[in-house]
Amino acid sequence: MAQTMKNRWAGLLLLVGILVVLALLPVLVNNYWLRVATGALMWAGLACSWNMLGGYAGYINFGHSAFFGIGAYATAILMGADFAVPFLATIPIGMIVTALFAVVIGAPTLRLRGAYFAIATWAFAEVLMQFATVVDFTGGTGGIGLPPFLNERFFYFAMFAAAVLTYFLTWLLFERSRFGLKVKALRDHEPAAEAMGINTSLVKLQTFVLSAVVASVFGSIFAYWVTFINPKSVFGGDITDQMVVMVLLGGLGSLWGPAIGGVALFFVNRLIWMYYGDTAFYIAILGAAIILVVLFLPNGIAGLFARRSGKSGSVLDTVLGRLLGSRQGGRS
Amino acid sequence: MTAQAPAPGDQPILFVRDVHKHFGGIQAAAGVDLEVGRGEIAGLIGPNGSGKSTLFNLVAGMETPDRGQILFDGHEIGGKKAYTIARLGLARTFQIPALFENMTVSGNLLAAAAEGHWHGAQQRADETLALLHLEPVANNRASDLSGGQQKLLEFGRVIMRQASLILLDEVTAGVHPNIRKIILEAIARLREQGTSFFVIEHDMEMVRNVCDRIIVMDSGRVVTSGAFEDIVQNSEVMQTYLGRPQ
Repeated sequence: MAQTMKNRWAGLLLLVGILVVLALLPVLVNNYWLRVATGALMWAGLACSWNMLGGYAGYINFGHSAFFGIGAYATAILMGADFAVPFLATIPIGMIVTALFAVVIGAPTLRLRGAYFAIATWAFAEVLMQFATVVDFTGGTGGIGLPPFLNERFFYFAMFAAAVLTYFLTWLLFERSRFGLKVKALRDHEPAAEAMGINTSLVKLQTFVLSAVVASVFGSIFAYWVTFINPKSVFGGDITDQMVVMVLLGGLGSLWGPAIGGVALFFVNRLIWMYYGDTAFYIAILGAAIILVVLFLPNGIAGLFARRSGKSGSVLDTVLGRLLGSRQGGRS
Repeated sequence: MTAQAPAPGDQPILFVRDVHKHFGGIQAAAGVDLEVGRGEIAGLIGPNGSGKSTLFNLVAGMETPDRGQILFDGHEIGGKKAYTIARLGLARTFQIPALFENMTVSGNLLAAAAEGHWHGAQQRADETLALLHLEPVANNRASDLSGGQQKLLEFGRVIMRQASLILLDEVTAGVHPNIRKIILEAIARLREQGTSFFVIEHDMEMVRNVCDRIIVMDSGRVVTSGAFEDIVQNSEVMQTYLGRPQ
C-alpha cells in the first residue's frame, strides 16, 4: 500500500514536471522545434482519441481520419471569405458536424463486429475523401486555403490545451468513472456486459462519438496551423494508420500509451526527415513497430512501467482476437 | 397445455409457457413449460443437447423465442434485450466464465454494478470480495485467476447485481471442494435474503443438497419435475437422462 502511494506521488510529480516543461517550451526552444513539439502534441491527442474506441472499447476504427478531416474542412470552409467565422467559433461547429456524422455512421456500423466494423469504417473515410475530391465547396483536389496566422506559439498552445483536455477527459471518463467500466466491460465480453444491464449499443455509440469529436478538434487546429488542406492531407488512410501504430507501440487501452507512442513516432518521423529529407523510410519504421509490439510488447511501452501481478493476456490479445474472429469472448 | 399466465397475487418469479426455439433444423426448445417460485432454488437437469442452455439464453435475452411466453416477475421478457431483462432484476452466469479479462477482480465487480446499482457499489464489492474469499487477489487481472477463482468471480458479479432471480450455469463444475463450499454458502445466504435461483447442474450431490425442486429436460421439453427423491425414484429418468440405472 505504501509502495502504491509512493508510486502514485512519483507519477504525479513526473506529470507536473512534464506539464511545466511543456508550458515553458516556447521560451526554451526555437521555432523549428516548437513546430515539431506542436505536431507531437497533435499526434499524442489524435492517438488518444483513436484509443478511446480502439483500446478501451476494442473496436478497431480504420476510418478515424474521417473525423479529423471533417474538423479540418469545417474550419477551413467557415473561415473562408463566404462565412468569415472566427477560428475559435469554428471548433464547436466542427465538433457538432462531426458528432452528427459519427451518429449516422456509428449507429449502423457499430452493430458489426471485428473485421467487419474495421472495413466499414475504412470505407467511410475513403468515401468522404472521394466526396471531398469531387465537390466544389471543399475546393476539390486543389484543396482549400485558410487565412494565414503565422504565430507558432499560438498553435503550440492551442495543441497543448487540446491535448491536455483530451487526456484529462480520457482519465476522467475511462479511468475514473463507471462509464469507463462499462466501456471496458463490453470490450472484454460484450454478451456478459449486456447480462450486467449495460446497453452496449448505446455505450459504443457514445464512445465512438466522443472519439470522433476529439479528433475533429485537432483537425480544426491543424487546418488553421498549416493554412492549406486537401482531401489527401486530412482524410488520407495514412493518418489513421499512424494513430493505430502509435497506440499499439505506446500501449493499447492504456491512458499514457498513446502519448508515448505518438510523441516517439512523430519525433522519429521528423528526425528521418531532417537527415534524409524524405519520410518513406518512416513507413518501414511503422511496420517494424508493429512487429515489435506483436512479438515482444503486447502491452506496449507503457506496459513496461505498469505493475503487473499476473502472467496472462493483454488488451491486444483481446482486441486482435475479436478482430480476427478467433476468440469466443465478446464476439457472439 | 394451455398457455395461461398465473394471477398477479401468486405469480412465480419465472413463468415459461410453450416456448419454442429452433436453430436451422434443430428444435432446441419444443414447447417448454416451467415455473420457478419466489425464493425457490430450482434445479434444471438433462443430457447434453436437451435444451438447458438454450432455455437460459431465451430467459436471459441472449436468444429470441420463436413463440411462447416468458414472464419474469410479472413482466413479459420474451425477445427483450438482455440488458433490459438484467435491469428488471435477473442475473446469470455462463457455462464458461465470461469475465472481463483485462480488468481487475475488483473492476469486474464494480462493472457489474455500473448499471443501476452504483450507489454503495464499492462497499458491496468489498463485502463480496470477503464473502467469496477473493480479497487477496482483488487487484489481480481476472485472466490471471485460477479456474475456480474465475467461477467465484463470476458468481460475485451476479451478487453485485442484487438480482431477484439468478441463473447459474454449472457454477460449481470442476472447482475445488473449498471453492464449491464457498459458493454453496453464498447461495444459502442470498436465499435467506429472498433471492430465487434457477440452476443448471450435472453434479447430483449439489442438486440434492441445494435444490428444492428438480426440473428434467430432454429434446427441448420438460419431461418431469419434482423433489430430488421423487426424481431419483423414477428409474426411467435416471436411466435415460442421467445414465444411471436406479
